[in-house]
Amino acid sequence: MILLVAVLVGGLTGWGIAKWQRQTWHSPIFRFPFLVVIGFLPQFCAFYFPLTRHLFSDSQTSLCLILSQIMLLIFGWLNRSLPGMIILMFGLGCNLTVIFANNGFMPLPLETANLFVSQEVMGNLILGERISSASKDILIPEASIHLPWLADRFVFPDLFSYQFAYSIGDVFIAFGAFWLLVKGQMAHPVLETGDLS
Amino acid sequence: MKTIISNAVFVASKVNSRHLQVIWMFLALTMLVIGAGASEDVGGIGIR
Repeated sequence: MILLVAVLVGGLTGWGIAKWQRQTWHSPIFRFPFLVVIGFLPQFCAFYFPLTRHLFSDSQTSLCLILSQIMLLIFGWLNRSLPGMIILMFGLGCNLTVIFANNGFMPLPLETANLFVSQEVMGNLILGERISSASKDILIPEASIHLPWLADRFVFPDLFSYQFAYSIGDVFIAFGAFWLLVKGQMAHPVLETGDLS
Repeated sequence: MKTIISNAVFVASKVNSRHLQVIWMFLALTMLVIGAGASEDVGGIGIR
């Protein structure tokens, strides 16, 4: 959610700045964009598409997640000249590292889950198991997590009704995506870019 | 019905390759950030 908000806000900010400067907003252009589709496909099948995600065992799902993130990292490297992409890649690297160190899933500390999940729902969650078939997170006590500072240990302040846990890697990814959309228009000549006026 | 079709044709004629390029860029970036990120909202059911 934080990531989609970053894309939306980044797009609106970039477009707004261009409007304010009476210029045309040019979107950044990715090299090898098909790699994103190929990279995202394993996650789409293993996590997001309801008809296929139940076909995967946990070990297959974690393999899909790691392979997918490696491919997305390669895509990021091929597009590293775009503003913000290095920041986004750093965040992805943080997430991939902690996922790799914790049996192929993002650890959600039990202590963090207690901060934003109702007791009723907590009663249905099992320690050491995934939160759901659509989740990349696995519930683990903080003391058992490898590299706990990279886990989903942060929760939004109580003043927001929508609460979720996120990692430091997610913050870098969100900021990288935001920066890409705000500054990305400067990375390519005008003739190579899309625009919205 | 005829008006709806003519409106649709009018809107479609306004969409050019650059608009498609922007849409494609947003789609690719969305896939990238969703695939790279790993935030958790417990399916949206764990809100206190």
